[in-house]
Amino acid sequence: MQSANVLLRKIVRSSVLPFAAQHGMKKDLFPLSRTLSLSLCLKQDNSCNPSEKLDLDAWKKVMKSGLQEVVSETVSERKELSTLAAAREILEMWRLAGRSVPENISEEQLKTFMECPSKSAKKKYLKYLYLKELYRKNDKRKMDEKRERRLEAQERASETDEAKRNSFVCLLSSGMDRAYSWRVAQSMIFGQPLVFDMSYENDMSVREVANAVRQIVSSEGSNRRSVDPFHIHFCNFKDNSLYHKEFIKHYREAWGKLLITVTDQCYTDVFPKDKLIYLTADSPKVMKTFDHDKIYIVGSLVDKSIKTGVSLARAKRLGLETAALPLEKYLLWNTGAKNLTLDQMMNILLTLKDTGDWKKALEFVPKRKYCGFVSKPVHELKKTLNLINTLKLGKRQEELRKQCAKNYSKKLTQK
Amino acid sequence: VQPPQKPLQAEEWNRLRKSFQTPAVFEEVMFNSMVRCNSPIDVAKSLLTHVAKSNGDIAYSLLVKYLALCVQQGQTSEIRDVYDIMKNRFKILESGAYNLLIRGLSNSDQWRMALTLLEEVKKIMIPSRANYESCIKAASRHQEMNLAFELYHEMLAKDLVPTLDVLQAFFDFSRGMKGPELQKELFGILLYLRENQIYPHKTFMQSIKLWFESIPGGNWRGHLTSIKDSGQCPVCNHQLEDSDLTEEEYNNLRERIIRDVIHGTDTFRKTSPQEFEAFQRFVENRFPFDIVIDGLNVSHIKPRKMQCENLFDAVNCLAKDNARLLVLGRKHMLINSSNWKREIMKAMQNKADFFFADNISEDDAFLLYATLRSGKHCKFVTRDFLRDHKACLSDTLTRHLFRKWQRGHQIAISPSFLSVFIQQPAFCYDCVVQTTGDTWHIPYKDTFEEKYSYQVPRKWLCIQQK
Repeated sequence: MQSANVLLRKIVRSSVLPFAAQHGMKKDLFPLSRTLSLSLCLKQDNSCNPSEKLDLDAWKKVMKSGLQEVVSETVSERKELSTLAAAREILEMWRLAGRSVPENISEEQLKTFMECPSKSAKKKYLKYLYLKELYRKNDKRKMDEKRERRLEAQERASETDEAKRNSFVCLLSSGMDRAYSWRVAQSMIFGQPLVFDMSYENDMSVREVANAVRQIVSSEGSNRRSVDPFHIHFCNFKDNSLYHKEFIKHYREAWGKLLITVTDQCYTDVFPKDKLIYLTADSPKVMKTFDHDKIYIVGSLVDKSIKTGVSLARAKRLGLETAALPLEKYLLWNTGAKNLTLDQMMNILLTLKDTGDWKKALEFVPKRKYCGFVSKPVHELKKTLNLINTLKLGKRQEELRKQCAKNYSKKLTQK
Repeated sequence: VQPPQKPLQAEEWNRLRKSFQTPAVFEEVMFNSMVRCNSPIDVAKSLLTHVAKSNGDIAYSLLVKYLALCVQQGQTSEIRDVYDIMKNRFKILESGAYNLLIRGLSNSDQWRMALTLLEEVKKIMIPSRANYESCIKAASRHQEMNLAFELYHEMLAKDLVPTLDVLQAFFDFSRGMKGPELQKELFGILLYLRENQIYPHKTFMQSIKLWFESIPGGNWRGHLTSIKDSGQCPVCNHQLEDSDLTEEEYNNLRERIIRDVIHGTDTFRKTSPQEFEAFQRFVENRFPFDIVIDGLNVSHIKPRKMQCENLFDAVNCLAKDNARLLVLGRKHMLINSSNWKREIMKAMQNKADFFFADNISEDDAFLLYATLRSGKHCKFVTRDFLRDHKACLSDTLTRHLFRKWQRGHQIAISPSFLSVFIQQPAFCYDCVVQTTGDTWHIPYKDTFEEKYSYQVPRKWLCIQQK
C-alpha cells in the first residue's frame, strides 16, 4: 500500500489528467468506475491506527480539501456554455454515474443526439453509440493481441531462420477475384436478372437505410462468389440518395467498378411486366418452384417498425404478380417475423437457382426462427391426425374434427 | 454480498475487498447492496472514508449511491452535505442525482431547496415528471396551493403527464380550504380527467368526494352508485350525457378515418383506389344503414358451425325490426365451398346488402367508413377491438374521439350455448367525468390495477349540491 501511494503521488504530480483506477480493472467492462481526478491530499497511512476511533466524516474533509485547486481552474472557464458543450457535459456526468454512454462522441453524433425527439430516443441512441464503441475497442484489443502474437511467432521463426515464401499463395486471392469477376461479367450478359427495388428510402430511418445497404453489400458478395451468379439490377436508384451515399461509404472507389446494373428506371420499364414476380412476405401466393425464366424483385427495405404491406402495396399498384417463400410449408415456424434479411434472401435464391432444393435453400433462414423442418407436407400430417381422432372418438366426432381442421386451414389462407 | 452491520476500519474494508472476487467493482457492489438492505448510513460513511483515504477521491457513481441511501432514510443534513460536495466538485450534475436530491429534500423541512434545484435542472434539461411530482407534493403539503398549481401548469405546458398521485394530492391537501380560485383549479383537474378520458381509482375518488364535502358553505353531497342502462343516475335522477359526437366531431372523425386509416401512407396497403371508389359509390347509393356487420368476424363466432350459418344466424337476429343491414365480406365468400354455401349466401343477400372486398383488402376500414357515413344512429357489429385502426390515427384527440364513438356504436356479439346470439349493446351514455354545474358524475375504477383499455368502469360517484 505504501509503495502504491508513492507511485500514485508521482503520477499525480506528473499530470493533472484523470487516470484510470489503479487496480487492474477491466477497462472495457467497467469504464465508469474510474475516479475523476486525484487531489493531492492523501492521508498518510500511519495517521490511521486501527485502535483509533473511526472518523466517519473524514471523507467529506478529503473531498472538500481537494477542491481548492480544481475550483480555481474551473472558475475561469465557467462562462456561459454553448448548448453543445453543455450536452457534452451532461453526457460526461451520465458516464460517471454509470449509464451506457460512449466515452468519446463526435460533434456530428452530438448533434444527432440533441435532435432526438424524446428522452427514450436519446437513451437508445447513446446506448447504440456506447455498444459500438465497446465493440470497436474489443476488436482493437484483439487485433493488438494478434499482432503481438504474430511478432512473437516471427521472432521465433527468424531464430530458426526458415522463412518459406510462397508466391503462389499471394496470387491466389487476386486470381480468385478475377475468376469471380469473369463469372459475374458472364452473368451480366447471359445470366438471370434479379432486381433490388430501391424505392423505399422514405419508408425507412437513416439507420434502417444503412442496414439495408449493408445487407445488399453482403448479398452482392455472396452472388459474386456463387457458381452461377444473378445479374443484379438496382432499379429506382436515385443519384445522391441516401442509398447512394451509404453505398459509396461501403464500396469507396469500387462502387464504379461493380458488375451490376444500376438504373433510375423502374423495373416495369426495363423488363416485360408478365415476367416480373415481386417477392414479399405479405403475398397471399406462395412460391412453389423457382422459375428460371422469371425476374424476381426483392424490396431493399429494412422495416424494424413492422410496416405490413408496404411492398405488397408497391406490387399491387403496378399490377405485378407476387410471391412469398413457402416458409410455413417446409419449416415449423417458431418465432420472429417472416420477412428475412436481404442477404438471406439472396442466399436462398442462389441455392434454389443451383439446386431447386427447398430444404437446402431454407437452411439460410436463421435457426432461432424455426424449430425444425417439416418432414411431411402439412396436409398429410392433418390426415394422420384425423385418422387418429377417428380411431379415438368414433365416427360422429370425426365430422366435427374435419370441419375444425378445414376451418383452421381456411383461416390460415385468409390471413 | 451482505453489508456489515457496524462501521468498519480501513483494514477490515481492505480485507473484505480482497476476499471479493472482482475487487475492481467491490465498492459499487457493496453500495448497491447497502441501498437494497437499507444499511445504517454510518456503515456507508465508513466505506466512503476508506475509499477517500486510499484513492484521494470518491467516484461520482459512489456519491450518487450514497445519496440514494440518504434519501431512502431521510437524512436531510447528509443530503445537503453531499449536494455541496457534488456542486463544488462537478460543474453540473446529471438527472439521476437531481432526481434523488429533489425527492430527498422535498420530503424534508428544507423543501424550498428542492424548488431551487428544480430551477437548476430546468437550465440543463426538461425535468422529469417525478421531479415536478415531488415539488408539487411538497408545496401542497405546506399549503402553498398557488405555487403547486403554478408548477402543475408548467408541467402540463411541457407535455408531461401527471400521475394520478399528484392529482390526488391536490384534492387531499386542499380539503377544507376556501377560495374560488382554488375551486376553479380543482374543477380544472376534473376537466383534465374528462378530456383525457382518465378514470380515477377508488382512493382517488374518495379524496375527490371528501374535498367536495369539505368545501365550506358548498353543501355538496357525494354518493357512490352505478348508472342505469338508460343512462339515468339513480341518486339524483339526472340523465347522463349521451355518447353521440357533435356534427363537427363526426365529420372530423370521418375525414380522419378516410385519411389516416384507409389511405394512410399508401392507399394500396389496405385496399386500392378503384376498390375504395367502388365502395364509396356503393355506400352513396344505398345508405343510410342501421347496422353494419363485419361478415368474416361474425362468421367465426362458433367454430363448430359452418361459417355461413353463423353469419346467417347473426343476420336473422339483427334483421328483426326492419333494420337496414350491410354485411362486409371478401370475394372468397362467394365461391361455393364447404364453409360458404351458395344457397345460404343467396338467402342472406335478400335480407341485407352485401359488399365483397378483394381477398387481400382490409374489410375493417370499410366497416368504419360505412358506419360513419350512415350517420349517428348507425351501429356496427364486430368482436374486433379495432386497436390497430385506432393506432393509425395520428393525434390523441382524434383517438379519444374514436374511442368515444366506438363505445357508443359498437355491438359485440357473444356466442352462447343456446342458438340465439346475445348482444352486448352499445352504451347510450358517455362514460367520462361530467358536470352540469350543480352536479358532478365521476366514473371510477374499483382497483388500482389498470383495466383493459376497451373496458369502461361501471361504478360512479354522484356529487350534487343541495
